[in-house]
Amino acid sequence: MHIVVTVKQVMDPIIPPSHMAVDASRKQVVSASGAPAVMNGYDANGLEEALRLKQVHGGKVTAITLGNESARNTLKRAVAMGADTAALLCDPQWQTLDSFGIATVLAAGIRKIGKVDLVLCGRQASDSDGGQVLYWLAQLLDLPVVSPIIKIEESGADALVVHQLMDEECQRLRVELPALLGISSEINEPRLPSPKGAVIATRTMIPVWNASTLNVGQVAGKVTIKALDIQVRTGQAEIIEGADGAARGRALADKLHQLGLL
Amino acid sequence: MTGILVIGEMAGNAVTKQTLETVAAALQLSVELKQPVSGALFGAGDLAGAAAQFNCGFSTLLLVESERLEQYSAQQSVTAALAVIAKLQPSVLLLPHSARTRDWAPQLAAKLGSGLVLDCVNVVVGEDGLAAVKPMYGGGVWGQHVVHGEPAIITVRAGVFDCAKPDAGASIERLEVPNLAPNPRIEHLETIVNEGTDGQQLKDAKTIISGGRGTGGQENWHLIEEAAAATGGAIGCSRAIVDMGWLRWNHQVGLSGTIVAPELYIAVGISGAVQHLAGISNAKTVVAINNDPDAEIFKRADYGVIGDFKEVLPAFIEHVKGYAK
Ligand SMILES: Cc1cc2nc3c(=O)[nH]c(=O)nc-3n(C[C@H](O)[C@H](O)[C@H](O)COP(=O)(O)OP(=O)(O)OC[C@H]3O[C@@H](n4cnc5c(N)ncnc54)[C@H](O)[C@@H]3O)c2cc1C
Repeated sequence: MHIVVTVKQVMDPIIPPSHMAVDASRKQVVSASGAPAVMNGYDANGLEEALRLKQVHGGKVTAITLGNESARNTLKRAVAMGADTAALLCDPQWQTLDSFGIATVLAAGIRKIGKVDLVLCGRQASDSDGGQVLYWLAQLLDLPVVSPIIKIEESGADALVVHQLMDEECQRLRVELPALLGISSEINEPRLPSPKGAVIATRTMIPVWNASTLNVGQVAGKVTIKALDIQVRTGQAEIIEGADGAARGRALADKLHQLGLL
Repeated sequence: MTGILVIGEMAGNAVTKQTLETVAAALQLSVELKQPVSGALFGAGDLAGAAAQFNCGFSTLLLVESERLEQYSAQQSVTAALAVIAKLQPSVLLLPHSARTRDWAPQLAAKLGSGLVLDCVNVVVGEDGLAAVKPMYGGGVWGQHVVHGEPAIITVRAGVFDCAKPDAGASIERLEVPNLAPNPRIEHLETIVNEGTDGQQLKDAKTIISGGRGTGGQENWHLIEEAAAATGGAIGCSRAIVDMGWLRWNHQVGLSGTIVAPELYIAVGISGAVQHLAGISNAKTVVAINNDPDAEIFKRADYGVIGDFKEVLPAFIEHVKGYAK
């Protein structure tokens, strides 16, 4: 089974808005303290699931990312976790692509890889919170798509049984392969890179594929980000005082009772 | 192409509250764009009752009724939406943002080649055209997304707009949609309804007691349960608790959980990450119990108790029980 996992390098999602800054073009959010970027959490879940499927079925896991040269770090991490190969899709003209554009490039990358049985994407990226690249990708590759997946219950050579998370319930579905799945965090706990994996990662060559390698022309976007505004909170709670924790607990109950909330 | 189309959603035989909020967003946009609003509903059985609730300021209201729509499938929703769009030729399609629409709206956009923005809090008209305001970075940043091409497809977050009021203005038409069928490559085996949903859905709860990593999960969770019982509240949690495997995902409040709107939200041992706060922006009164005076949650909370919840909650619970007597 050949599984491709799309991974994105993102700003660490634990950074609060008070530590974010918007660059001069107002088109990009950066970490004000220069905190290191990380692998998108849902993509790490996707990679973990791919590695588990490989353990059962054998085969190969390939991680690809679209990003700048620094995104190589995230691919190194993917290899250190256990991906067999990786490719960096990088070209100056791809810096401001929208979801459709990103999917167009990823689709070209996946076609170059050749026969693929399963594509796993994170359900969304924690920076854009976009949640649509995977669907465009599925359309471009003509694959059935289901997202967000919280369980792969059964995996065979030609189909998977998966659980799709809905608002109040789960759908248990049988999806024919090849297919594309959007993976959610409930599915697994991603492994940490092993020391051996880290050594392998330093030795693994990661090719760069650009617009001419992939034969991708200019892509007209469908959505353009015009402005980004950081939502800084300035409020401050009224602090309930009391001699000790228990006294504050009672004072809180009194307060809420006065407000008619209890 | 002209006009704003809202495709509503139903829970049982009624349209959802969020559907009416989405209509309100459409009516606001209609003033700016000077274009009429129409509506459509898909479902199994007779939709007349739901249509009456949904009929708010529309020029046209289309119903797609088919027993095949009993079971949700993305492809069926896309097929029905394509038929409605072909008939009405709207310039904008607004949908309530839900687990279903976040699944089928992108597949509709991909079929149409349309611009799409999911989970928006506003839609405005500027010099560059239609722009959807979308929370990003977990909610820490709002981005103005200009959408090119028609129809622009936008899903609207729960709880941002007030509900529109029905006026029975539009006459109701039924639209036959042939070849409604799920994707042959995706077979529906079963719908798994939550075991252990505690009767009170988070979405509609008036009071929610929510625990986070600071509760330690398992060991002291009985305090959260007792506080919920004493206040008549539902139990929520942060993602940390779900990640620990302590509660199921249907209790998670936040961006990737449920967006709630209670009168009273009590966050116990929750730090206040943006992704969590995204779920409580419509909570009326927020209380935080946390032993870190610098926790972000205190910037969102109306009332704060600085302290160890193991000391605060037992006294709080006893006192609340006293009021009940
Ligand atoms: C894409 C994405 C989506 C996400 N979606 C969600 C979501 O929907 N919902 C969600 O909740 N999170 C979500 N998260 C995770 C979020 O970023 C945080 O990691 C999570 O909310 C943290 O949970 P927490 O506040 O319980 O834990 P922590 O951040 O670890 O906070 C624990 C708090 O408990 C306090 N504490 C410790 N001991 C005590 C004590 N004895 N008494 C009182 N207080 C104490 C600490 O001071 C601290 O403030 C998402 C993240 C990503 C990247």
